[in-house]
Amino acid sequence: MSGDQPCTSGELLARAISGDAAAFGTLVRRHQRSVYSLALRMLTDRHQAEDLAQEVFLQLYRSLASVESEEHLGFWLRRVTMHRAIDRLRREPRYLTSTLADAELLAGEAPDADPILERRLRGLLEELAPAARAVVVLRYQEDLDPAEIARTLKMPVNTVKSHLKRSLAQLREALTAPGPGGDGDRPAPPQPLPSGHRTLV
Amino acid sequence: MSHEDIHRDDDQALEQRLRAALRPVDPGAGFVGGVMARVAAGRPGKVRPLRARTAASWASFALAASIVVALLLAHQRQVQRTEQGLEARRQLIEALRVTGDKLDLASRMVNAPPSPNYSDSGA
Repeated sequence: MSGDQPCTSGELLARAISGDAAAFGTLVRRHQRSVYSLALRMLTDRHQAEDLAQEVFLQLYRSLASVESEEHLGFWLRRVTMHRAIDRLRREPRYLTSTLADAELLAGEAPDADPILERRLRGLLEELAPAARAVVVLRYQEDLDPAEIARTLKMPVNTVKSHLKRSLAQLREALTAPGPGGDGDRPAPPQPLPSGHRTLV
Repeated sequence: MSHEDIHRDDDQALEQRLRAALRPVDPGAGFVGGVMARVAAGRPGKVRPLRARTAASWASFALAASIVVALLLAHQRQVQRTEQGLEARRQLIEALRVTGDKLDLASRMVNAPPSPNYSDSGA
């Protein structure tokens, strides 16, 4: 039986747990978008994000027996991805996306999107501390409520709410503050990189 | 419109912008293949881990065998030296016994009474 055939999530999970590699591949295909996007928004580098997302699925393969349901699987993937991303951000020097990587991201934007503003927002998101960034990404990418975010990141709900409030205020302030060009909604011209930052070209 | 309403509208606009900026994106085309390759490489019982485990087992076995052989050799040398000591002791006792016999014989000869035949011939 092919793993790509329509199949309920429970059946697919059960088959993957019993060692069906095709079923596991289908599970990866179903969740790759979410896991990769979380990793990308946290690490901001496509190659690092792919590497981290693959590590998460490898860990999932080894821990399949502990996954109880499809819902638990989604929760498990989000939790492991965010914790690994935060660990990596704390451990390794930060990478800034290159103009080439930005161009590739822009190519995938929706037609009605404002790519310049979205790029600016993503840039501002990089300025947030790893834990605050994780909260914002889970809230606005995965559409989780504060209680779910708290469970995922193992932090108190009040801390999540506090991170959200502070991060939104910080983002709003940065967006409305007049930049060097005098227009708050326009991206600022490139600034020299602080020491410790590396650009991937 | 109150100040709070304006602030709420701003918040909603910012949240919409964030949702748009954080729209999920797909990884590269070879992503699933990469995951499956890593799964296959890391599966228990594959060649690399097994080889590594076998090499580690052989190293442990060789070390243990070397220690056992060294202990056996040391024990054998100790036994050999003990046996040599016992043999030397036995030979010394034998030599003392022979010497004692000789001395005893000599003593008896010296202390023996003169022969009567010798006295008669002299008279």
